[in-house]
Amino acid sequence: MLEALWEGLLLVLQWKAFGFMLLGIGLGFWVGLLPGLGGATTLALMLPFIYTMQPVEAFAFLLGMHAVVATTGDITSVLFGLPGEATSAATVVDGYAMTKKGEAGRALGAALASSLVGAIVGAVALAAAIPVVRPLVLTFGSPELFMLAIVGLAFIASLSGEGTRGMVRGFIAAGLGLLLATVGQDPQAGVARFTFDTLYLWQGLDLVPVLVGIFAIPEIIDLFVRGNSIAGNAPPGKVAKGAWEGVKDTYRHFWLTIRCSLIGTFIGIMPGLGGSVAQWMAYGHAAQSAKTPEERKQFGQGDVRGVLGPGAANNSKEGGSLIPTVAFGVPGSTSMAILLGGFLLLGLIPGPDMLTKHVAVTYSMVWTIVIANVITVAVCFLFLDRLAGITEVKGHRLIPVILVLVYIGSYTSNSHYGDLLVTLFFGGMGYLMVRAGWARAPFVLGLVLGKIAENYLYISTARYDAAWLTRPVVLVLIAIALAVIAYPFFQARRRG
Amino acid sequence: MARKASLALAVLILLAAGYAVFAAKGWQWKAALFPLAIGIPLFCLAAIEIAWTLAAKEAPEEPAPNPALPWAWMIAFLALIVLLGFPIAVAVFMLVYLKAQAKEGWLFSIVLTAAVWGAFYGLFDMMLHLPFPAGWLFEWLGLA
Repeated sequence: MLEALWEGLLLVLQWKAFGFMLLGIGLGFWVGLLPGLGGATTLALMLPFIYTMQPVEAFAFLLGMHAVVATTGDITSVLFGLPGEATSAATVVDGYAMTKKGEAGRALGAALASSLVGAIVGAVALAAAIPVVRPLVLTFGSPELFMLAIVGLAFIASLSGEGTRGMVRGFIAAGLGLLLATVGQDPQAGVARFTFDTLYLWQGLDLVPVLVGIFAIPEIIDLFVRGNSIAGNAPPGKVAKGAWEGVKDTYRHFWLTIRCSLIGTFIGIMPGLGGSVAQWMAYGHAAQSAKTPEERKQFGQGDVRGVLGPGAANNSKEGGSLIPTVAFGVPGSTSMAILLGGFLLLGLIPGPDMLTKHVAVTYSMVWTIVIANVITVAVCFLFLDRLAGITEVKGHRLIPVILVLVYIGSYTSNSHYGDLLVTLFFGGMGYLMVRAGWARAPFVLGLVLGKIAENYLYISTARYDAAWLTRPVVLVLIAIALAVIAYPFFQARRRG
Repeated sequence: MARKASLALAVLILLAAGYAVFAAKGWQWKAALFPLAIGIPLFCLAAIEIAWTLAAKEAPEEPAPNPALPWAWMIAFLALIVLLGFPIAVAVFMLVYLKAQAKEGWLFSIVLTAAVWGAFYGLFDMMLHLPFPAGWLFEWLGLA
């Protein structure tokens, strides 16, 4: 194994492969920064260019690009409250709150450092898990994956507010997200649900316009009515100093970062759950790590742990989702499905061959993820303080630029004006939620998980009737979901 | 404001859940299973939240700033995009906003507008060839 690992490193460091990786990193850097340009779309656009490349060069290019998208996606989330990627929306919650407190540098430092830790954990998991992953993936059928989605929702909903009422609101928001995920043509019977006879809604609500609306629009309104900069009245000089503080935060909460990385890797391994889920699960876990209710109240108000968790999970999921893609040819996400196309274009068949005959290529992917993230984080740190300085620019100068990004980001999802209306509609809803003090995270996780949960619930019921509820792993997951819901009550009671 | 916003949200969600349950009743069970499984508990939870809000005493709150003006700008930009198409709307909106709302000088407004428009056009139109249709106004006038 060590020999193959070394061989994989040498393959990536060949000048041609390294050059393609740098090109990929450059592309991924901007794709991550710009809202609306998704990592998956860019992978698909770049796929035709790999025809003439060797496998190692092609994967250095594609994975180098893909591995850094989530890393730089966090930057716009932190600076403007505008998710650069659907997979970096969870970073907005506490990252942007830190920015408003004048801690943009610290938040960016934490996001990038945790991203790097996450990427390394994911890559190590990919290297180590390939021989043992088969039984794990096979243990999780549709019933288990459905329950895993429910556990994720329980995590977020139960932690999104104070007391019983906060929890009820969390579940209402999650339920609304799940319900809105059913908009569009239903995959089982082909019924057009809640489409109001409009063709645009047949394919359902696209995640990007919803996310951009619900997170960015309320912040634009807030910035407008405050009339000052994003960092508000933070002391001069504080904003741009703090990137290293963010790095130190990563090491202060090192085990939390590692745990969130492992959550991301695990979600990545499970086919069909996807990267958008991993960040929210990690956010839920980070919030749960708060020891007292007072400490938990800090989440959403700018707690650095709310940045570290999603930052780490976002990047570790890449290594995780490569595991089933490489080992079984079962892609863990849309991006991995496109990458699978890359395998086939290059004449590689995912499966046992990738673990024996082409194992050096497989390990070159591990190295690509690590090296690409190290380079990106190092480059970002050179500009981090300047980037953080943007938050001290007058709000009225930034608002039109952010609005242009908001509308273009939404429009590029489907190239349809309906995307813009969806953004404004959910912007209104996000604004109401902020004013009412409702958490937006459960709603987003509900929307992300809705289609997946419905599909798995249908398959479970059709295949096992109600007997799926008695499967051992399902029972364990039900117990975890109940424990997650009961934990805040138990904690409150214990504290009297 | 928080109480009113909470009540408005809960009422909207109650109506949405009620409609979802009502609509799902007419579908095959395959299509109706999930909306019913979510819609019914959601309706009940929203009703509880409304009752909770109405029963709670109204606490004195700080008056919230009026969000009408930022909404007006956002809706106006959307209308410009639909009527004039993205490339023209971006330039017009940037310039008008910077002059009329941000009260910036001509030089700054023109330079920032040109920079943003250049980045938008260079990246999305020239490099990525994203389809930005001409505005409806040009279609109505037969110029598109």
